[in-house]
Amino acid sequence: MGEPQLQSETVNRVQINPLRKKRNKSYSKLMKNKLAVCGGIFVVLLVVLAVFAPLLAPFDPTKQNYGQILKPPSATHWFGTDTLGRDLLSRIIFGAQVSLKAGLISVGIALTIGIPLGMISGYFRGFWDEFIIMRVTDAMLAFPSLVLALTLAAVLGPSLNHAMIAIGLVFTPYFIRLARGEVLAQREREYVSAARASGLRNFSIMMRHVFPNILGPLIVQATLNVASAIIAEASLSYLGLGTQPPTPSWGAMLAEGQGYISQAPWISIFPGLFIFLAVISINVFGDGIHDWLDPKLK
Amino acid sequence: MKARLKGFMFLGVILLLVIASGCGGNKGNTSSSTTTNQSTNQLVIGLDNDPPQLDPQKSSAAVDRQVFQSIYNTLVDIDVNGKIVPELATSWKITNGGKVYTFNLRKDVKFQDGTPFNAKAVKFNFDRELDPKSASPRLSEIGSISKVTVLSPYQVQVTLKQPFSPLLSILTDRAGMMLSPTAVKKEGANFSNHPVGTGPYKFVERVKQDHITVKAFKGYWGKKPKIQTIVYHPYADGNVRLTNLTSGNVDLVNTIDYKDIDRVKKNPNLKVDEKDAIGFQGIVLNVHQAPLNNVKIRQAINLAIDRESIAKVIFHNYVTPATSPLPVSSWAHDSSLKQTTADTAAAKKLVQESGLKNVHFTLKIPAGSAQNQQLGQMVQSMLKKVGINVKLEMVEFGTMIQQGTEHNFDAINLGWSGRMDPDGTIYSWFITKGGNNDMGYSNANVDKWLNQARTVSSKQERTQLYHKISQQLWKDAPYISIYYPNDYKAMKKSVQGFQHYPDTMIRPETISLK
Repeated sequence: MGEPQLQSETVNRVQINPLRKKRNKSYSKLMKNKLAVCGGIFVVLLVVLAVFAPLLAPFDPTKQNYGQILKPPSATHWFGTDTLGRDLLSRIIFGAQVSLKAGLISVGIALTIGIPLGMISGYFRGFWDEFIIMRVTDAMLAFPSLVLALTLAAVLGPSLNHAMIAIGLVFTPYFIRLARGEVLAQREREYVSAARASGLRNFSIMMRHVFPNILGPLIVQATLNVASAIIAEASLSYLGLGTQPPTPSWGAMLAEGQGYISQAPWISIFPGLFIFLAVISINVFGDGIHDWLDPKLK
Repeated sequence: MKARLKGFMFLGVILLLVIASGCGGNKGNTSSSTTTNQSTNQLVIGLDNDPPQLDPQKSSAAVDRQVFQSIYNTLVDIDVNGKIVPELATSWKITNGGKVYTFNLRKDVKFQDGTPFNAKAVKFNFDRELDPKSASPRLSEIGSISKVTVLSPYQVQVTLKQPFSPLLSILTDRAGMMLSPTAVKKEGANFSNHPVGTGPYKFVERVKQDHITVKAFKGYWGKKPKIQTIVYHPYADGNVRLTNLTSGNVDLVNTIDYKDIDRVKKNPNLKVDEKDAIGFQGIVLNVHQAPLNNVKIRQAINLAIDRESIAKVIFHNYVTPATSPLPVSSWAHDSSLKQTTADTAAAKKLVQESGLKNVHFTLKIPAGSAQNQQLGQMVQSMLKKVGINVKLEMVEFGTMIQQGTEHNFDAINLGWSGRMDPDGTIYSWFITKGGNNDMGYSNANVDKWLNQARTVSSKQERTQLYHKISQQLWKDAPYISIYYPNDYKAMKKSVQGFQHYPDTMIRPETISLK
């Protein structure tokens, strides 16, 4: 088995190398994309907030203080307090945990199910591809994603875990589609024919040769979907189907503050602002990666 | 990528606009008097929901009644103090130990379609409500009626199976509303879309989820209404309802959120009218589900909840802390039950005495209601202090009601709008297998007292029975009463002559616009 593999790898390298070189050269290009860098910095900040939340938050995010309700931003409470006298800054910091967790895990679910199915579908074609996987995918895509996520979350019961599963399942068809499309393009390439001619098994061709070549678009799609998943989690929590109180979630905080927009606008402004910043920075960061990985762009 | 960025900029601008509009809410109302309905002949009323039914005998939502009050009259009504007064019946006599009610009817009354109102019409209405085939929600309220007889054209006799003292009070509600027999026969199931009664206003048109219009009825027997047209608009969202009031689109709203009361009071163009509640709000405990089947745990919950704090923090002291399901405004209220603050030490002790370890349960709260979510979180934090862990779960209201009926829950946050008579307020909740007894509660003594309180007619005796019931309910704690939701109506200063009735229903015939 050793020999054919070696051969195929050589073939493969011939295909990939020019791309790789370009990428290495253009690390500086990524850094030059200022927007993407800003996005990246905020993403890193979010990760730091989420990971070190217990150390960074000035107060316990669930500690109610009935003497301090609806206080505007001040030196003690930078972002003010909410309807139950909880410190909003601390809740925002802990909310980052929920948002990132929701974004990463749900996209993780979508990737784990979507990529293998999409690759199998695109690589083998035939009955399973045309009549089962693609039709199910089409059916799922026919629903507006939030409505589908709402239905799933309602059926599973309201909780953060269920919301993540629901969002993950809703995003899966996008990855199936993308992986399949990329594989369809790759499977006709010469390196695949060469690998096949050298006697490599299908599984090895898919894993060792096709997969690395379709990874770029998948990474970009995954990054962008993390942003959508954060919005989806916030929406579900806003509607009461996601994170359950008292765990702070930006979406739920937005809903709590809605009725107080004129008396205490800070309750909804800060979570709204953070959802906005998180989503826009992940998106520009994802776009940056896309430009960087795309060999067609200079 | 550029297009995407543009999209974000657009979103950002919208966000800023939304925030700006929210901040400006208080200032924008000085010019409101120049807007739409300046006409003193039209009153616009904002309701908290679109009434599902305009047939009183089919209605099961309280908001329906806000509209019924203009279209229909009842046999007897209440005055602003809750005392029973004549309406379509000028007088009545109770004989045979409380088993026979004889009503003398008003003679100058016509339905809005010209049909004369008389004893036959009354009998027709009762027969329709009592017919099991019409599946009227009224049947459970007046099921004690065995027959209705026409004695003379303007005298009707109602005979009961056994004495039932809340009857007159029930007849001030939908069960006593008189529908035109001609219209009912003509329209059949479609009556709800073409309602006809004897009330001061005649139905004109309805566009579902948008408006219901009624016009003054020229042939009305009573004092002629001052306003010619009333338009009811539904606004389920409290903020939207209030915005429409402050902007001048609406003259009067049937309820406002507690958090907005201070704001409305400060507004120079608006005023607020307050009345004590007849209902109760709190937490239903499933007494068949561990750990809530343990009475010590339920008592501990009763003691651990600081009702004063809840009233202050969530409701800005516009509700009254509750210790029983019978509100302070009711003559049956037992004021000896005073524990409105928490007794954490006693509650902790009860949890220890229960012998249970790791006590936890799930509390369901209606999704979409910020107030209920705050309440849930406060209860959660108060119970944590005494060693009871509560998991909160938000459930869509309809689903929650259904799960309540199926006893598929540990605890749910649910209350009751209440009725004028204490029997209507608590009987169905605490009688064994009662229609609203989601707790699955059953106590032989409470059953006995509830039934006795229905049959005896002396108010003093009834009061004693209701006190006993309230005390037993405090001990057994199947339901944790938390607050009595007082009623607040907000309106423009130009609205004159509004009278606040204890049943919270708007009777529009006395209202005029300055």
